[in-house]
Amino acid sequence: MKLYVTAAIISLLGLADALYLTVEHVTGQSVRCTIVAGCSEVLSSQYAVVAGVPLALIGAAAYFSVFSLATLRAFGYRIAATLLTALVLLMFLFTLWLIYLQAFVIHAFCQFCLFSAAVTTALTVIVLIAILSRRKTT
Amino acid sequence: MKRTLPFIIILVVLGAAVGSALYYTRATPGSNFTPADSATASTAPANTAAQPPVVTGAPGADPPYTLGSPNAPARLEEFGDYQCPPCGMFHPILQQMHKEFGDKLQITFREFPLPGHQHAIAAASAAEAAGLQGKFWEMHDLLYEHQNDWKDKFDVRPIYEGYAQQLGLDLDRYKRDVSGEAVAQRIFLDRKRGESLGVSGTPTVFLNGREVPFASLPAEKLRPILQNTINAGGR
Repeated sequence: MKLYVTAAIISLLGLADALYLTVEHVTGQSVRCTIVAGCSEVLSSQYAVVAGVPLALIGAAAYFSVFSLATLRAFGYRIAATLLTALVLLMFLFTLWLIYLQAFVIHAFCQFCLFSAAVTTALTVIVLIAILSRRKTT
Repeated sequence: MKRTLPFIIILVVLGAAVGSALYYTRATPGSNFTPADSATASTAPANTAAQPPVVTGAPGADPPYTLGSPNAPARLEEFGDYQCPPCGMFHPILQQMHKEFGDKLQITFREFPLPGHQHAIAAASAAEAAGLQGKFWEMHDLLYEHQNDWKDKFDVRPIYEGYAQQLGLDLDRYKRDVSGEAVAQRIFLDRKRGESLGVSGTPTVFLNGREVPFASLPAEKLRPILQNTINAGGR
């Protein structure tokens, strides 16, 4: 229960980060080079858009889904746990892919993307702890 | 109550997320900056309400490198970084504007190499060193046009020396100048000017001392802004 409340709160950080990047993308600010380096290379790369949809918006939708599922689970909707686990593990795999792209393809890191990676990693750890503790109790 | 509460929380978060995203999209300067369309451009005064202030700032390298006439009604000043991809994309736009507006538009380029770009200073130095032999714009064009060829390379010096040779520069002099005091000083002064004007990224463009929002730099948006300024006689 407490685990899912924590997951819900952490997912809000991811949601805020992804929303910020979505706004930057929509307003065109993200493609500019700034004194804080790295983001423009990453956010103006071809990987920032998937089929016309900004990746940041997909991220925002994913974090919102995580928040919704974690909240539902915290209030006792058990079915949400399975969906939450599947979604978070999928997001974690996707995050690994995005870090790979930044490190080996784009050769630049964006701190906002790394923050999102940290959030998803934290969510993954929580989900794994939840699975393990469920195994122990049953 | 317990069954509906989570849904209420979720809806509140959704509302807050969408609301704040829309609010910040609107509030971002320049995101909705659309100049008067070309039909009304000729009659509408160029500068009405909600204009960014005219700024002067520190002097910068003297003399600056310019294209077009010093008496042009529209005087555009770009702060650029040769390694910055959007600057590379802006380069052909500015060339096109120079072609279209000719003597009515003066273009000044200022070096603003960003600390995050490993080759930005080397590239700025190459352009300035070429400038000492009267080939600033030629080197400037080559650096931008071939940005993708050098930006991920480990050592860019031989590539730039190749450009210098291609431009017919005195290579020994170029090699001395590129790491010389005069070049470093010009870059330093341009950067000081940028900092005094509050430039924090590239490309940053000023038109007659007023910052043009980044979102207005695509050709189809920049063109009417320049036309407006020229029609208004530079005011």
